[in-house]
Amino acid sequence: MHQRMDRRRLLATAALGGVVGATGLGSLAPEAAFAAEATAVGPGLPDPNFAEGRISKISGSMLLVTGSDTVLHSIRITDGTSIWKLHPTTFDRVAVGDGLYARGVRLPDGTLAADSVWVNIVNLHGHIASVGRNLLHLDHKGQRIVAHVVPDRSAAVYNGTPAVSDMSLLRVGRHVQVLGAWHPDTNEIDIATVYAAA
Amino acid sequence: MAALRGEVSWFCCGSAWGPCGSAGGGACGTCRSGNYQHAWPNTSDACLAITRPDACGVTGMSRRGCGFRHYTTNLCNGARIGTTIADCGPQTDLFCGERTCCGSACGSNRIIDLTPAAYSVIASLSTGLRPCSVDTV
Repeated sequence: MHQRMDRRRLLATAALGGVVGATGLGSLAPEAAFAAEATAVGPGLPDPNFAEGRISKISGSMLLVTGSDTVLHSIRITDGTSIWKLHPTTFDRVAVGDGLYARGVRLPDGTLAADSVWVNIVNLHGHIASVGRNLLHLDHKGQRIVAHVVPDRSAAVYNGTPAVSDMSLLRVGRHVQVLGAWHPDTNEIDIATVYAAA
Repeated sequence: MAALRGEVSWFCCGSAWGPCGSAGGGACGTCRSGNYQHAWPNTSDACLAITRPDACGVTGMSRRGCGFRHYTTNLCNGARIGTTIADCGPQTDLFCGERTCCGSACGSNRIIDLTPAAYSVIASLSTGLRPCSVDTV
């Protein structure tokens, strides 16, 4: 608990323009950082420290986000915010129209000081309808999804084996889970990892 | 229920953007990505007929209905989250025998899917899949 409080205070300080930056958050590895989190939110309830939606405006380090349920969120990016958009990236790669999930600390003024932001991230299941050059066509809940293989980024995990860049074992008709990044306002995504059963 | 060991992933539901836009409220009609909720493979006979964890040799998965609480622990870091059932899933039989490890901590077969709000408490969404244990206390 003590660790959580320290970390949250540091993050809030950074969000409010204090001198504490990313280095002030310590050297927590990603898994350790999540282990350090604790929550008082009960099972089944909405998490006030989480937000989702699409970016309607970027003003300085602030993202104005319209939630899918129409709730508006102000999300502040700090020096300590980790940003994912197909891979770990920087704030300048975030654009109006992007979708996101964000986790952080809700400040007294209602702003969410972001600890992590996942931009355009999707994690969907589907059947492979066809395989093309550097892309897969997926049937996902009645929709056709075009999933692009991104050189030096996309990876395949075949039944729990270590991730490899070789997509040649993916076959038409096979069920897959694809973690990737959506191209806003299209039916296309870039593949981060595709999980395929044996 | 004794702690059940397997794999955890995440899924979106409720109002959503992008390919998730068609997700809906799940089998219970209450599912929201921002809530601490989960999908469970054995919520009804009809659900079990789809998910078929038994086809992968998974036993001890009790029948539980909408709103029942489970607690999921990420075996990579020990982080734990309590959630309630809001949907049927994951479809365990589609990934029979799949194994995910963090060092020596491993889980086989998909036994639970968390909402993004819940999963992101115990792991980064970008991890996609983690070994876990699930219990009721």
